[in-house]
Amino acid sequence: MIDFLEQNQLFIVLTLVLLIWFGILIYLRTIENKIVKLEQALKKQKGNN
Amino acid sequence: MKIIKYLSSLIITLVIISGIAPPIVEFPMHWYQYPIIPGLEDKFRNIFFHVPTAWVSTIAFLVSTYYSFKYLTSKNDLYDIKAESSASIGLLFSLLATVTGALWAKFNWGSFWNWDPRQVSIVFLLIIYFAYFLLRSSIKNEISKNNISAVYNIIAGISSIFFTFILPRMLTGLHPGAKGGKDLGPILGGSISGNIMVTFFVSLLGFTLFYLWLLNLRTRTGILMKELKYD
Repeated sequence: MIDFLEQNQLFIVLTLVLLIWFGILIYLRTIENKIVKLEQALKKQKGNN
Repeated sequence: MKIIKYLSSLIITLVIISGIAPPIVEFPMHWYQYPIIPGLEDKFRNIFFHVPTAWVSTIAFLVSTYYSFKYLTSKNDLYDIKAESSASIGLLFSLLATVTGALWAKFNWGSFWNWDPRQVSIVFLLIIYFAYFLLRSSIKNEISKNNISAVYNIIAGISSIFFTFILPRMLTGLHPGAKGGKDLGPILGGSISGNIMVTFFVSLLGFTLFYLWLLNLRTRTGILMKELKYD
């Protein structure tokens, strides 16, 4: 196990950084979806008034 | 904005892969191999992440100053929201540049903090922009808050130019480009191979596009908060 970790250090770092990056992307995508929903609700509310 | 969103996500993913995965060899024979940079070795990979974060923070602060100026000349609240949004992204990326820089300093210069002029100047910038947000939160009257923070932000923007481009060149230090140092660094010195150069500039592009996406999201959130009167 230790041999494997030592021999593949760069790829372990790469996997971790990619996981963090994809996490950030998913988080931003979720926020964007929420913003779109709020924008639409606000538009609808303004239309009703 | 959709193109910017997908393009920035794709470019930064590719930069992460092409920045970390390629092997470093003494005599590169293929395009996917990086040459050894004397004094930096494996640590040079940080250049693809540290420099773009510092670049984005500089752009964000300058854009924020521009929108504050636009606000003062037009009194349009949208510009104030954009100025605040850009400053908050600039602050985030300044923190990232400080962290990536401190990690690099630990392994290249021996300790996380070396009192290098560029390290000190980024701390000044962090304090200046933290104060900007403190100032905004301390004024209750909307119009006074927008006007005073816009004036402060213009002064902060001018000082950010001084702390980023002038001060670190006036004093001796460890960063490339410091006073008295002949070393301009691997990028400006032109001493690095083509594939590193391409990855570096693609990284700058990707991070810039990512900043535009974040600015869009943050501005839309600011507009919503204003319309819903949420503070």
